[in-house]
Amino acid sequence: MTARSLESGAPARERAAPSLWARIWQNDAPGYLFLLPWLIGFLGLTVGPMVTSLYLSFTHFDLLTAPRWTGVDNYMRMFTNDPKFWASMRVTMFFVIFSVPLKLAFALGVAMLLNRGIRGLPLYRALFYLPSLLGASVAIAILWRQIFAGDGLVNKFLSIFGIVGPSWISNPNYSLWTLIVLSIWQFGSPMIIFLAGLRQIPQDMYEAASLDGASKWRQFVKITLPLLTPVVFFNAIIQTIEAFKSFTPAFIISGGTGNPINSTLFYTLYLYQEAFGFFRMGYASALAWVLLALVGLFTAFSFLTSKYWVHYDD
Amino acid sequence: MTDAPNKLTVVGLRKLTPMQRRLVSVLIHVALLGASVLMLYPLLWMLAASFRPENEIFTSASIIPSAWSLDAYFRGWNGLRTSFGTFFTNSFIISILSVCGNVMACSMAAFAFARLQFRGKNFWFALMLMTLMLPYQVTLIPQYVLFRQLGWVNTFLPLVVPKFLAADGFFIFLMVQFFRGLPKELDEAAQMDGCSPWRIYWKIVLPLSMPVLATAAIFTFIWTWDDFFGPLIYLSEMRTYTVMLGLRTFTDSTGMSDYGGLFAMSVLSLVPIFLFFLFFQRLLIEGIATTGMKR
Repeated sequence: MTARSLESGAPARERAAPSLWARIWQNDAPGYLFLLPWLIGFLGLTVGPMVTSLYLSFTHFDLLTAPRWTGVDNYMRMFTNDPKFWASMRVTMFFVIFSVPLKLAFALGVAMLLNRGIRGLPLYRALFYLPSLLGASVAIAILWRQIFAGDGLVNKFLSIFGIVGPSWISNPNYSLWTLIVLSIWQFGSPMIIFLAGLRQIPQDMYEAASLDGASKWRQFVKITLPLLTPVVFFNAIIQTIEAFKSFTPAFIISGGTGNPINSTLFYTLYLYQEAFGFFRMGYASALAWVLLALVGLFTAFSFLTSKYWVHYDD
Repeated sequence: MTDAPNKLTVVGLRKLTPMQRRLVSVLIHVALLGASVLMLYPLLWMLAASFRPENEIFTSASIIPSAWSLDAYFRGWNGLRTSFGTFFTNSFIISILSVCGNVMACSMAAFAFARLQFRGKNFWFALMLMTLMLPYQVTLIPQYVLFRQLGWVNTFLPLVVPKFLAADGFFIFLMVQFFRGLPKELDEAAQMDGCSPWRIYWKIVLPLSMPVLATAAIFTFIWTWDDFFGPLIYLSEMRTYTVMLGLRTFTDSTGMSDYGGLFAMSVLSLVPIFLFFLFFQRLLIEGIATTGMKR
């Protein structure tokens, strides 16, 4: 590289060009060489596919024949003429709105109990964390389907008290709740993050508050919660994005259908059906971009409002 | 460290007599133990169900079988046309290749972001952070078309190659945080001695970063092992199935009649994850606590 620019360069540039190249080579090349695998992946597996996916969302594409441009038809159909789209949107929103706050409340509650300097903390922490680690597995979804079946474990316990429980999985009023319970069951990892956050709060604040006669509840509202808001914010964002992306449990528990009566038809499940069940790849791409817009809007909204409720030290 | 939580207890319970204080502590333990049992009961019940006689599975809610047998494991292992041995082998191959790819590619990218200076660094880093929020559905279909055209469907390549291209930015972020914490003087001294960036990366940074590399390796293994969506889309021939796909097929076909076999294979599928939990629990919990991991 240097030799060539030496030969071809005009006399005036002869001295500048090689040193420029050498400088670039010395300063920038190592960084880009180390970054190379990621760069190839980023351009080839993220940026390229994103652009293609946006294009496909304006086409009719069945994988076998070339995509056919249909303008905004996919989006029009989605918003005006597709009850299943709205059903899946409702199911996903319901799931996000109930599972995330409940899971975080549970995580925070248990973290506060554990943070009282009790004995056996490492044991409890490990036990509560185990479901988080195992929970994403197909095996757990299979177990859940059995537990909440008509003759499942839950109804056996209820029958001890003489209650005859419904078949939770096949009843559209409860089926989504079984998935919400599954999500709450995995409160372990936000709990660990909360515990780490609680440890950061200076203990003398509580002492001072307590000397001033502040009740435990006031201490929680005035000290714990405000100082913990960065951690709450972090957990809420991560868990919400995860909830939007949830797929496996609904797929396994409903056998891939989203039934009964579309009550567990998660947005991701509907997208999968459209893409790989009916091979409506154009329509599925449009669904994906609406999901991206939704997650993007949510994230932007959280970051914009965060300055009003998240307290940072600096 | 040790007296801070005690202080809190004293402050919180200062108006209580020693007797009442002990009562509160007992109540907390009862609540926590109760919650633990309630949470772990389903897991123990599945474990028991895999060992008990088939006719007892739906009649008993206890976690102690009346008789122990390994029948269900043998039935389940050969419950499908292809044996679960194949599925386990496939899952192991995919997971181990993913671990190698992820640790190598992500640590290289993280080294560039954390320790090297080059033009456009902040720009690329910001883009990398944005990919963390990206739902995979947005790239799913073109990726599928691409891999199909390459003839990669029904091979492990679509599941493994992205790992060698550091597709999961989360691990890059994790490692950047760790690499930044290593003393800068190390690189500078090595550079003075004429060490190339590659040698600094290989001989200095990587050996000092074993905790974060191990954390990344374990989480990559568990998440790849658990992955259902990727195999569901790319693997349709039974000889290429992973354990998760095998389980799903089991629920579709014979599973309805052979719950014992289904539960036995479900339990087996959780064993590798459980072993990681047992032996690397501290590493996993510290990894989550310090970086705020998602699962």
